[in-house]
Amino acid sequence: MKFLFYLLLVLLLVPLQTTLLPHLSMWNIKPDLGLVAAALVGLFAGELEGLLVGLSIGWILNLFSAGELWLSLLTNGGVGILAGFLGRQLSQVTSLSMGAGLLLVSLASGLLAAMSFQNLDMTQIWWMIQSIVLPQACFDGAVGAGLFWVLSQWFHVTRLRTD
Amino acid sequence: MWMAHSSSPYGAKRIALICFALLLVALFLFPGQIQGLLQYLGGPVGYAVGIPLETIASIDAGIANRWEQYVALQGVREENQQLRKEMEWLRGQHSQLRESAAAIERLTALLQFKEQALPTMIAAQVIGRDATNRYRSIILNKGESDGIKPDMGVVTPAGVVGRVVKTTGVSSVVLLITDPNNAIAGLIQRTRDEGIVEGTQQGLARMKYIPLLSTLRDGDRIVTSGLVGGFPRGLMIGTITNIDKQEGALFQSAELMPEVDVARVEEVLVIQTSYGQSTKVAEEADSKGKPAP
Repeated sequence: MKFLFYLLLVLLLVPLQTTLLPHLSMWNIKPDLGLVAAALVGLFAGELEGLLVGLSIGWILNLFSAGELWLSLLTNGGVGILAGFLGRQLSQVTSLSMGAGLLLVSLASGLLAAMSFQNLDMTQIWWMIQSIVLPQACFDGAVGAGLFWVLSQWFHVTRLRTD
Repeated sequence: MWMAHSSSPYGAKRIALICFALLLVALFLFPGQIQGLLQYLGGPVGYAVGIPLETIASIDAGIANRWEQYVALQGVREENQQLRKEMEWLRGQHSQLRESAAAIERLTALLQFKEQALPTMIAAQVIGRDATNRYRSIILNKGESDGIKPDMGVVTPAGVVGRVVKTTGVSSVVLLITDPNNAIAGLIQRTRDEGIVEGTQQGLARMKYIPLLSTLRDGDRIVTSGLVGGFPRGLMIGTITNIDKQEGALFQSAELMPEVDVARVEEVLVIQTSYGQSTKVAEEADSKGKPAP
């Protein structure tokens, strides 16, 4: 059942991200739902599932992007595993902390991507950070916080630490 | 409010870490092989993802169509669309005729003509945009099974759109001409000077490496040079809007306004074979007694 859910999530994420989200983009910036989904799965289901789902999302979304595969795998898989660890370490996760965490992770992945562009000079990299990386990080944080709030209201999830 | 947990066994954390570390090591040691393998495995996955993607894209197109037909001014819009299409077609024709005229002048002097066949093209629809914000690319509803391969040129009747960079079974990703990672060999139609056309961060294009002695000016038209890449010679790329000539520099560069509005493109043509190649294919087909594709 869980596998089917993850399969549907990964399959539906592609049309959602590539076909529907461009209509909802603001200033030509759309949130990275793959990153948000990987973080939520990691947080709710633990680091292993977060990693596997994050890697699958990264791989499949990369098939429909001109971007580098390693970056997509690294960021989505990394977010899944990191969210799993943080979910274990933090005593309470709120929408606010989820949003802040996603903002930071999105910022880090955006900076990594900007640095990996080989033919850009510093002015262009700075322009990219200002007009793409920063707004997207804010967008990802807001969407992540919103989705986390909806999910936590919906499921009334309460999970206790055991170690 | 959600309480963090650790109900999963301690082993899961180890397994996750080991898997991630192994993947990282493999990616850094064998980047090409891993990328190739995952791209190969992505072929069948592309078919699976293609089903919801095409379904949602067609629903999206249907809704957009209804909106445009019934909510927006129906008659005016249709007429406008028709006129725009006609204008794009005429622009393409105009550009090709100018190019033909210039070519005829040169070729008449040489008196050595080679018969040129029309390029083979595949029509495709745009079903999505890049999954990230960092690249300017579009997703087409045709892929490897339709004969599309990486590096093929993509155009509309008005001019160049971009270049295919990735394919799955039923879809392909086209890097747009306005992306900074794209580079196309261009030619200034009036002066015949060559250069490289690249995208800019601002969503326009720039022609670099123009000879310093070139007499280019604002309004000059840039076409494909046909030297490298999947484009035949003479396809419209854009018009020069600003020239950058710095003292002491070896080359000059110019900003371009792309001819095709790539943000709104809906249908495109993928160039399967260029002029020269299609002639070869036709000759091979003739020798085998088969019709050319």
